[in-house]
Amino acid sequence: MSMEVSASAAIIEAVNISKSFGPIPVLFSVSMDVRPGEVHALIGENGAGKSTLMKILSGFHDPTSGQIRLDGKRTPLPPNGAAEHLGIVLIHQELNLAEQMTVEENVFLGREIRTNGFLDRAAMRAEVQKYLDEIGLDILPTDRISKLTIAQKQMVEIVKAVSRNARILIMDEPTAVLTEEETEVFFRQVKKLKESGVGIVFVSHKLNEVKEIADRVTILRDGQWIDTRSSQDLTPDTMAQMMVGRELSDLYPPMHEADVDADVVLEVKNLRAQGVDNVSFGLRKGEILGFSGLIGSGRTAVFEAICGLSPIESGEIRLFGQDASNLSVAEARDAGLAYLTKDRKEKGLLLDKQMRPNLTLFALPKFVRNLSIDRKAEENALTRAIRRFDVRARDSSITVGKLSGGNQQKLLLAKVMECEPKIVIIDEPTRGIDVGTKQQIYHFIAALAAEGVSVVVISSEMPEIIGTCHRVVVMREGHITGILTGDHINENEIMRYAAGLKREELH
Amino acid sequence: MSMKKALGAIAVTGALVFAGAAVADEKIKIGVSYPTPTHAWAAGMNWHAEQAEKRLEKIYPDVDLILVNSPDPGAQASALEDLVSVHQIDALVVLPFESEPLTDPVLNVKKSGAWITVVDRGLSQPGIEDLYVAGNNPELGRVSAQYMKGRLKDGDNIVILRGIPTVIDNERFDAFMAEIEGSGINVLDHKHANWNRDDGFEVMQDFLSRFPDIDAVWAQDDDIAIGVVAALKQAGRDGDGMFVVGGAGMKETIKAIMDGDELVPVDVLYPPAMIATAMDATVNAFKSNGPVAGRYILGATLITRENAESYYFPESPF
Amino acid sequence: MTTASEDTAAKTAKKFSVDFKTLGPAIALLLLCIIGFMLNPAFVSEGNLTNLLTRSAFIGIIAVGATFVITAGGIDLSVGSMAAAISGVMIIVMNNAIETMGSGVPTVLLGCGIAILLGIGAGWINGALTTKGKIEAFIVTLGTMGIYRSLVTYFADGGTLSLNFDIRGTYRPVYYDSFLGLPFPVWVFIGVAICGWLLLNRTAFGRYCTAIGSNEAVAKYSAINVDRVKTLTYIIQGLCVSFATIIYVPRLGSASASTGVLWELEAIAAVIIGGTVLKGGYGRIGGTILGALILTTIGNILNFTDVISNYLNGTMQGLIIIVAVLLQRSDWKVSKSGKS
Repeated sequence: MSMEVSASAAIIEAVNISKSFGPIPVLFSVSMDVRPGEVHALIGENGAGKSTLMKILSGFHDPTSGQIRLDGKRTPLPPNGAAEHLGIVLIHQELNLAEQMTVEENVFLGREIRTNGFLDRAAMRAEVQKYLDEIGLDILPTDRISKLTIAQKQMVEIVKAVSRNARILIMDEPTAVLTEEETEVFFRQVKKLKESGVGIVFVSHKLNEVKEIADRVTILRDGQWIDTRSSQDLTPDTMAQMMVGRELSDLYPPMHEADVDADVVLEVKNLRAQGVDNVSFGLRKGEILGFSGLIGSGRTAVFEAICGLSPIESGEIRLFGQDASNLSVAEARDAGLAYLTKDRKEKGLLLDKQMRPNLTLFALPKFVRNLSIDRKAEENALTRAIRRFDVRARDSSITVGKLSGGNQQKLLLAKVMECEPKIVIIDEPTRGIDVGTKQQIYHFIAALAAEGVSVVVISSEMPEIIGTCHRVVVMREGHITGILTGDHINENEIMRYAAGLKREELH
Repeated sequence: MSMKKALGAIAVTGALVFAGAAVADEKIKIGVSYPTPTHAWAAGMNWHAEQAEKRLEKIYPDVDLILVNSPDPGAQASALEDLVSVHQIDALVVLPFESEPLTDPVLNVKKSGAWITVVDRGLSQPGIEDLYVAGNNPELGRVSAQYMKGRLKDGDNIVILRGIPTVIDNERFDAFMAEIEGSGINVLDHKHANWNRDDGFEVMQDFLSRFPDIDAVWAQDDDIAIGVVAALKQAGRDGDGMFVVGGAGMKETIKAIMDGDELVPVDVLYPPAMIATAMDATVNAFKSNGPVAGRYILGATLITRENAESYYFPESPF
Repeated sequence: MTTASEDTAAKTAKKFSVDFKTLGPAIALLLLCIIGFMLNPAFVSEGNLTNLLTRSAFIGIIAVGATFVITAGGIDLSVGSMAAAISGVMIIVMNNAIETMGSGVPTVLLGCGIAILLGIGAGWINGALTTKGKIEAFIVTLGTMGIYRSLVTYFADGGTLSLNFDIRGTYRPVYYDSFLGLPFPVWVFIGVAICGWLLLNRTAFGRYCTAIGSNEAVAKYSAINVDRVKTLTYIIQGLCVSFATIIYVPRLGSASASTGVLWELEAIAAVIIGGTVLKGGYGRIGGTILGALILTTIGNILNFTDVISNYLNGTMQGLIIIVAVLLQRSDWKVSKSGKS
């Protein structure tokens, strides 16, 4: 990636922006500019102020001091997304799509094509189809958003922004939920946009991607501007160091050798369920087993079926030697089997509640004394969990929705661990969280395994799978295509199994 | 038997048979339409309509009465259309759900050539009905006030529990106030109790808390009166000549009057049986040689221990 | 342990931090009482206060049940009709039992037992249809509302079902008699309120209701049997309706199609005035009780004055309900700083 960044005039400039929420300052005199035809990456740990800066750049927040210049002129941006009319589009991390409407309706929401006062659906459909074909997305304009996967929804957001002739496109972790394959398609789209002169602000925790796609990189730490550099001058390692402000050695903890003679704690034979086709595997005590594959390959479905979250059609599940083919979620929990969802906002945490009820919800029966909930025990558990998982909150009474993504993830982990499972399935353990927190979570997983807990890590990030797991199961289209061990665990091998280029005869 | 006589008999029989057939073909069909009973008064009306149907069809074999009840004004309008198109009625007896929305549907029945009898609630356009049968709402208020004046003296206090805010309620109330004026009886306050027992109970409880001295209660309706009596008994203020005047003619109330109840000594008639009066008159329009068309306003008779028996229908639900 | 029901505003303030969300309903009730006293000092007479509390018992008890249903993200529109239908069946059963069981306490107990069974059954039907049948609660209970209402009309032949006078004597004290100066219905109300408060705030079941109303998917992933908890909330609602019916029937000894009309809306209004969130996830039993008291007090005050035209009663009720909710919803500190 070596596009020469000319000193062409910036489309948008943020000059000495400071921002406080009430008495709490979150940005200190930060400056940043975006030029036409460049990808400008914005990186930093969770809580560094990236989201706030993005919202100021797109008019969702007013700066407390400092100014926004558009085409060199000082311009106060209109609030609530009205900056779209100026060509500034923000794609939120929690996608902003009307779930019950179709793709076409969403793309044209608020600027529908009309003929004689009636909606011209044919024209809109054709237009949307054109964009979908361009981006290579295999859905129909008439599909409902609620039926799409998260990845597909993300792509629809991008189509929506592209169709609005954006001059500045601000994307908050667009690739967090995309597979590598999808990311490639997405980057092709980004390059096209660049060529057409759009300025792109790109927020990501995936530093390899930043290196690949960005022309310039701005680094924030604790609300302070650290540096803006050409990406050619940076490596993922230097980026991480600048973000964290310290040496980040050992992102992944040293791996203990798995004991191949340990008891098999979970044994799955010929499992069939919605999206799961004849899956068999075993999990040993103290083992970290990775599940890799493309999004939609059935990894999550396997474990939702095993944990009683969705029905099983056929097959056998043995848990610690006992038949466990028809457990409810509560029975699975009581048997020591817990599933940690990848969708922490929709399925993991009650965002409008405080930390205490969230922490104890999964293991609530443990906190019942004489038919009522033992609040003191709950408080103690919270204090313990905050210490053990390093959950950082301004005070314990804020609602969980106000925590940063990393702290939410740590709280979710604490919630699941509260029932002291012997087998824990962690789905996308580090989605959308910063590198410092990632490191903490990897160390935690390793420590769990060392204590004898069996861990399943489902992840779309290959380095994570490779860096943490003893064995890796690769899935494709609902069935297992390969189980890798030792030196075979590398990106190349995994990708070949995941893409269906290689297949082991397992049965 | 002579040949002549026999022939005559045959001729007469034949004529009778012929006449009978003609009558069977041209039965007088009378549609009777009223709201589906959802409260006791309407249930009483339903009962009286059914009684009248049996009685009239027995007296006049050539009369066919078709009873239809409807749960809302829209359904009643449809029912009227069906009576014309399906049954091809010769006359309609209708107690309209509401005046305004049913005026046009009744007018359409009128245009089909049928005789129209309207009961209780008038239509919003004059001159549609041939016959109007109704209770006398102002008279109900006036008779109640006259009874009060007879029992109470200058300076005595009464409270009033009114019905649902409607024209009927206003007519009763205004006539009562006009009659009571100048008598020296104080009307402490009046509140709506919606012709409902529970509301009657609660409003009366509050009147009792609010006014330490009440000598009589005009409850306007027998359902309200039941609630009022319960509240009086609860507060222990049912003695000392206290009395309650209701209205309508509920069988329990009439029974109590017959038995000499002192708390509810009288009742003022607003009879659900008026539907039967209307059905009788409508049949008479076809059968009687006397003129029938016009307005029949029933008296608001004061029911006392002496005359109560003739208004007592133990079989009726009201 | 006292519930918030009889707590004054001052006590509430000690218990919770000063917060309009929780204090709003208490302040609204206090204001109403002051207005009532100023209009007519007889408002605070012992007799009137007793009447007020007794009267709030019906809506209050039903509203405690509704708090569970609404907190768990449901709604029950059938409660008024259910009360009418249960009253009707109770009366029929007791009237028919006189011949075999006499007119004593056993007959009344039989009636009460039937009422409780019917309440549980009706609640279970609502719950099972929403959870297993996967129909929206609004539609299910709209349907059962019509069914129960027409059943009572049918039982009563469109008229009124009256309790036999022999049993009335036995049953009457349940409404009219007092214990320690408070009528029995108020004791039932207090009992239901305390049980409801404990259940919602102190047990795992209450926590589950809140979690389900807040986010059903999270609840499911947290090993909560969502269908069972939701069905239980409807059963609790049915049970509360039974209790309300058991103290309602001895009052006038009758049931008709007009019994309990609009009780469902009054109960829902009481719940919302009390600070429970209509879309679920946050429930307050104490607030619900204050809400029921507020609703009853409005009607009581309107009967105590002739300043306001009778025809405007609905307007006054509507205004006071809206003001009470405004008091509770507005974050007054934020709105002040926002204006400056």
